[in-house]
Amino acid sequence: MFSIIKSHFHKGKTGFVITGLFVVLSVMMMIIGLSICLGMGDLYENTKILTNSADATFLSSSNEFADLFEEELKKRDDIENYDLKNLYHLKYPSQNDGYFHFIINKGKGNMLSRQFMLYNVDAENDNYKPRLRDTVQGEGFKLYVTGNLIATTTIEIGSPITFFYSGEQYQGYVAGIYDSMCDIYQTNAYYVDGEFYNMIADFAKTDNDFDILNRFDVRLKYKTDRECEQKLIELRTVVTNLYKNYMLEHFIENMIYGFSNKLAFMDSTRSFIMILGAALIAFAVLIAMIVALVIAFLVRSSIMDDVRNLGVWKSLGYTTNMLRLSYLAIYGVISGICMIVGIILGITLMPTFVNIITDMARLECRKAIGLNVGSVFVAIALIIAVISVVVMLATSRVKRVTPLSAMRNNIETHSFKTNFAPLSKSKVPVNAALGVKSVVGERGRSIMVVAIVLIMSLLSSFVSVVYFNLKVDQTAIINMSAMEVPDWCIGFDYENKDPYYEAIRQMDGYKYDTWQSIGTGGYIGESYAMGYYYEDFEKLNTKMVYEGRNPKYANEILWEVSSAKERGYNIGDSVTIKFTPDSGEVFRECVIVGFYQSVLNQGDFMGTFELLSFYFNDDYAKENNIGRYFYFEKGKVPTSSQIYQHLMKTFNVDTINFRGFYTGRSLIEDTFLRTVETAADAVMAVFISITALVICLLLVMLIRLKLLREKRVYAIYKALGYTTPNIMTQIAVAMVILGLLGSLVGAIVGGLVTTPLLSLAGSIIGVGRFAFVIPWGYIVGIIFAIPLLIYIVSMLCAIPVKKIAPATLLRERG
Amino acid sequence: MEDKKFVNIIVTEGLCKSFSVGGVQQHVLNNLDLQIADGDFTVIMGNSGSGKSTLLYALSGMDKPTLGDIVFAGEKISEYSNDRLAKFRRNNCGFIFQEVFLNDNMSVMDNVLASGYLSGLARKDVYKKACEYFDLVGIPAEMYKKFPSQMSGGELQRVGLVRAIINNPKVIFADEPTGALNSANSIAVLDLMNKFHREGKNIVMVTHDMKSAVRGNCVLYLKDGVILNEITLGEYDKSNEKERLETLKSFLDEMGW
Repeated sequence: MFSIIKSHFHKGKTGFVITGLFVVLSVMMMIIGLSICLGMGDLYENTKILTNSADATFLSSSNEFADLFEEELKKRDDIENYDLKNLYHLKYPSQNDGYFHFIINKGKGNMLSRQFMLYNVDAENDNYKPRLRDTVQGEGFKLYVTGNLIATTTIEIGSPITFFYSGEQYQGYVAGIYDSMCDIYQTNAYYVDGEFYNMIADFAKTDNDFDILNRFDVRLKYKTDRECEQKLIELRTVVTNLYKNYMLEHFIENMIYGFSNKLAFMDSTRSFIMILGAALIAFAVLIAMIVALVIAFLVRSSIMDDVRNLGVWKSLGYTTNMLRLSYLAIYGVISGICMIVGIILGITLMPTFVNIITDMARLECRKAIGLNVGSVFVAIALIIAVISVVVMLATSRVKRVTPLSAMRNNIETHSFKTNFAPLSKSKVPVNAALGVKSVVGERGRSIMVVAIVLIMSLLSSFVSVVYFNLKVDQTAIINMSAMEVPDWCIGFDYENKDPYYEAIRQMDGYKYDTWQSIGTGGYIGESYAMGYYYEDFEKLNTKMVYEGRNPKYANEILWEVSSAKERGYNIGDSVTIKFTPDSGEVFRECVIVGFYQSVLNQGDFMGTFELLSFYFNDDYAKENNIGRYFYFEKGKVPTSSQIYQHLMKTFNVDTINFRGFYTGRSLIEDTFLRTVETAADAVMAVFISITALVICLLLVMLIRLKLLREKRVYAIYKALGYTTPNIMTQIAVAMVILGLLGSLVGAIVGGLVTTPLLSLAGSIIGVGRFAFVIPWGYIVGIIFAIPLLIYIVSMLCAIPVKKIAPATLLRERG
Repeated sequence: MEDKKFVNIIVTEGLCKSFSVGGVQQHVLNNLDLQIADGDFTVIMGNSGSGKSTLLYALSGMDKPTLGDIVFAGEKISEYSNDRLAKFRRNNCGFIFQEVFLNDNMSVMDNVLASGYLSGLARKDVYKKACEYFDLVGIPAEMYKKFPSQMSGGELQRVGLVRAIINNPKVIFADEPTGALNSANSIAVLDLMNKFHREGKNIVMVTHDMKSAVRGNCVLYLKDGVILNEITLGEYDKSNEKERLETLKSFLDEMGW
């Protein structure tokens, strides 16, 4: 038996090496993919411990309200612990008024001058002090920012900072990153060194524009992520009701209040980490399928080539099962060795993939996710199952080999082949025609190549569609976020704002503007709901409507689809919304004219506010407007400084109470788009590399095998007058034809099924429709890129044709 | 187009061919000078290991000499690169091997056309010519689509003959063309070779078989890589076969065959 196994090994080394490499890839990706997916639960819990994060944070500028919250915490039995600390909040800093603001030099002259909150990094007795990382030493005060700010802006660690206050300048620098799950998406919350913090505290003693806020960091008792999520949602409802009741009793103008938790971080990272993990698992399974195809091909070829020897073995008394087991043994040994290599590589490369997760999460969590031992067993079981089934099926032909058939050197005694693509009918150059004949003449190999290329191009196409929509043209994903992305949202703190808006309309590149309003709170039943007012939905960049139509009249609303359907509402139904202005309760009977869907927490507004939200255009909401959305021509969107200068010049004043926001865009960018862009880059890079690798390995194996098996044919071709480039072209043409066929079908099908597949997967997380754009340019690119790759690799692999000398072959045979 | 006539179609000067076997140089052809006259049916004979096949491959440009020159139809092919040699062979050499070496995955017609299309002639003309040659060698049209595995050894060798002449080569090289055939098929193949020779084809054949060798008009005897001697038999005719055999036999006896 051992000699038979040894004989198999000597005859098919290249095939075994390539099969082995596929096994290594499959095992490695299965281990990493499964470890990522199965490690999700530990990821968030470990990250919390590693970063010393809270589960939830509560902010209030009112001490009384903070006390109420603390009382509530004391009442609850699901609170593990909590801590209170103070911070300074600096309101709407102006830019040129000699007042105060931060300027962070981002290398491009950009400024960061929004309201901000400062924490004391040197505070003693702070049990929730965040973990600091990537720290550097510099001159002046130290400012620590979130990893998200570093990743989404041009601000770098070490960037110099100038803090202006009452005509004085204070120099500092970005001293590092602080990791906190609840604050990860904060772009205006910073930790500063104790000295600087104390200086701010001194300013605050005499300056009312500084707010001293109370912050509670809270940790809950729970066993699973799911339980934690439920408790956080429950706590948020409690806080919202507490706020509502408090405000009804003690209306405090400009009271600052906030409740945030780690759900925003979890929600915005989970899907994409899962996508990465699932993609790796999918690739591992697909490569296992490729292993199956390759082994089936190799075993069948080996049997056909080795009929004589098999017949001789049988004549010596070896049974069919013994011979079949010899094939299983050789593939078993090779797979066993490669599985060990795959496991070692999986363990070694795991940190690289966790780094990708860290990049996506914007938060250092390298040690939060580790190898899952179960994944190793799953990978081993998958490969063993694939190899056992395929080898046993592929060796069924051994039954048909008899000592007699061996003497005839064939299993079949008659050939009933059809002469496909006869040269006499061919119109293409003879080398191409011979390439075509080789395609139809070796159907088993051709089917395998087409199948593998089809799988790889389908995946490439799938990944390209996702990449295009996540990275290149984010219209679809922004539409799915259901958040408008204007060029500017501008508001003024003046009684009569109209002249100021009119002045902006005179700026170069102005297109149009429209009223909007966010945060018009109301109630649908017992649930709090945020109303987003738009004067004219048709003017918005974002297509909100998932189903139905945009609101046109005062009593019409657009509602988030999952929230509405959970409550049994459909388009055309009426719903009563209770608004609670200072003057008392106002009830509005609204008609649902359409649904929107949101990938951002499905009706939960960034994990900060209540569960429900809706869009409408009732004039009632205008009272709460914070400004107008302005739209400019492409390339002519003014900077804040340009708007400011324009207004000062127009009204001949030194100060403008101007509030400008890249509303929507910045929010989405900070929390979502940047994350998906990173995911898109990572997934694209991984998938394209694997696709190219698989195709290259496949070609190396097939062409080496072909050169070995058809050495005689090529030698005779050479004797007849075919040159080395002629034969290389024949080989490459055959492979390109197969590649073109596979990539054509695979890429088109991939392009067409991506959206339905994502919708199917998305429906699990409440996003039922991915209206992704199919980038046909990319698809066409794949259709041609894969055959081009195949052509280049085939030509390279076929170079050894040069060594085939007809005389040598004839001499050997003679 | 009329083929250009040469006095000698192939001339070699100081032809040497050595092989390294296990690190030891074996000199198979030793400073061999040879002229093959245009229009001859030349037969190369000799004992096993005398260098017959090596000489055939060198003359046909399938192998490059270690030293020396080969001038084939006025072209010094010994200086050609492998690819240039391949291109040279397309219209100058036809081959018949002991094993026919047809591509098993192609029909017999495609096997012939794969060679014929290299000639540069219009494809329909190549196809027409292939049909004529198939007819000439006795392969009927219904067999064109058959695969090599579906044909007998004699049929296959006749297909090999058609493949060898499809490009109208200046010289047909045959290496033991009847070695794997029975007597009847051998005669048929040799008759065809004589027919082609009569029609003006040069033939260079390596053989062990006297019945085959007698078909040539010039027999070279090779020993230890040099031409030991040669004999001219004149034009073959079935009627003079017996005499030719005797003449050849005595020649070979002299050579110590």
